Amino acid sequence: MTPTHIMRTPSSTRASFALALVGLVAPYCALAQQAPATVVGGGGTQRETTVRPIASGKWTGRRLPDGQPDVQGHWSNTIANHNNWTDPQGGVPGDPSPRGRPKNARSERAPSRVSDPPDGELPFQPWARAKQQEFLAYFHNPIRPEYIEPLARCAPAGVPKSFTWHGYEIRQYPGYVLFLFNSGTRIIHLDGKPHLPENIKLWNADSRGRWEGNTLIVDVTNNNGKARLARTGEFLSENAHIEERYIFDNEGKRYNYVATVTDPTVFTRPWTTTIPARRYTAADEPDGWNFEVAFANYDGKEPLVERYERICVENNVGFGNVAVTSAASTGSGR
Amino acid sequence: MHTVSASLRLARVGIAFIAALPLLAQAAPLKIPRLPSGKPDFSGIWQTTSAADYDLEPHSARKDAPPSAGVVEGGVIPYLPAALERRRKNFEARATNDPRLKCWTLGTPRGIYYPEPFQIFQRDRDLTLVFQFGHSVRTIHTNGTKHPLETDNEFWLGDSRGRWEGDTLVVDVTDFGEETWLDRSGNFHSPQLHVIERWKLLDENTIEYRATLEDPQVFSKPWSLSVVLHRHREKNFQLIENYCYTLDYDQYYPVPKNP
Repeated sequence: MTPTHIMRTPSSTRASFALALVGLVAPYCALAQQAPATVVGGGGTQRETTVRPIASGKWTGRRLPDGQPDVQGHWSNTIANHNNWTDPQGGVPGDPSPRGRPKNARSERAPSRVSDPPDGELPFQPWARAKQQEFLAYFHNPIRPEYIEPLARCAPAGVPKSFTWHGYEIRQYPGYVLFLFNSGTRIIHLDGKPHLPENIKLWNADSRGRWEGNTLIVDVTNNNGKARLARTGEFLSENAHIEERYIFDNEGKRYNYVATVTDPTVFTRPWTTTIPARRYTAADEPDGWNFEVAFANYDGKEPLVERYERICVENNVGFGNVAVTSAASTGSGR
Repeated sequence: MHTVSASLRLARVGIAFIAALPLLAQAAPLKIPRLPSGKPDFSGIWQTTSAADYDLEPHSARKDAPPSAGVVEGGVIPYLPAALERRRKNFEARATNDPRLKCWTLGTPRGIYYPEPFQIFQRDRDLTLVFQFGHSVRTIHTNGTKHPLETDNEFWLGDSRGRWEGDTLVVDVTDFGEETWLDRSGNFHSPQLHVIERWKLLDENTIEYRATLEDPQVFSKPWSLSVVLHRHREKNFQLIENYCYTLDYDQYYPVPKNP
């Protein structure tokens, strides 16, 4: 790779860049980088319209010295960004920007991220449905601080939203799987230690995992319930218990994130989400969104990608195309 | 009588000591954890017990700092005159201006001696440092790669490239911003900061960490600090993410409840 291919990842470097990226640049960048055939409207990143099933079973792929299936590397979801939880390529309803509205029929877009119940809807209790509708109604007009979703203020995207927010890197170690997200970091403990005390609540929750064949099964508790699932306002409570299954194909190219959420505080029954993801390698073009890497500066011939730091601590403003204010006007950003 | 018997005892101890010398020599290779590749393995959760983060330089007890003889080799930091004046102003305003109070990322080397644990995950190609404070992530590359050709990223934690000198990990860190301090007392740097770290396991549970800092805008010459890091060995100890900067707006995000 020549130096001209070295890609900056501004969101990683300074909060002022992160502000610009989150607030303004990302949605348009992502649109600009779509090949015309894949642009279906709805804003954000969009790729595929179907979910390829991957069966749980044996792992025949590469292993690490400690025996774990080797799934290290860069990954991103194949469907869409975090605009909309149940109509992932449908944009955020009420988006005043014409670019943010879908241009095709619902049946032509990717299915709901809710794979159970079969109707693709979240089984909200009535009061919780009303609250989600309220968050959605004010997303583009956040007249109260709570209508700005925490991610827009640099809070971690949390579980499970992180899997729809930018690409991410998986690193593995004896006893651990590490997820380095664009906003947030998750340490999955594989050593069977007990969960943290119940009253400790975390943006990225507390994760205990184990491998069964090609599947990483993670028990997730201690979620602080503050992160929204999408710009459409869906949420969990701090009592949510999530069982995640990361089901990897043996070629190491794809995996499906299948997570069952049990949260009687908010929902009438457990529900399951399915988020497909694919691997990105040095053969892919860094795009600043799904594949947010730089090419390493070294003497070797093969291109080598690396992740720059991603640190966002100063943001304190809204986003979503219209909910954008200058950092200066908030008086608290810097 | 008494003195004679004492001398005899000393002599016996001396003989025993000399006799033991060959055994000591045999035990010479230090028992430290190693990766399968043979490189020292720094994996674990670490924290200093020093008062470095309060003030790197020697200082008496203050309301906001325990006393300490300091961790700067030679005692004080060799500031340029204008920088010394800025440091004085920082010190006066430390109760409000320390970036730590805004929960901003601590930077390098401050993150290493801040009094909260950090975890090292290590592979042959890199070390990943996750800091409990801010849950920020720093990667030290040990795969022969160099600093990026672009040098104005102004990373919070710098760009880190490591190499091995025997069992010592030597890390060259560049490309900083100007929004981090070196401690709570207002010691600071400019974006021209260049840090060279030396990481060495003294035994399986102890790291000697040494950092040499140069910054032609701020310091008249390079200087070094040194702290010891201890492994957390408490049962089931783990990092607990501290996204401290989210606490300022926590009040706006009560988890919705059934009214």
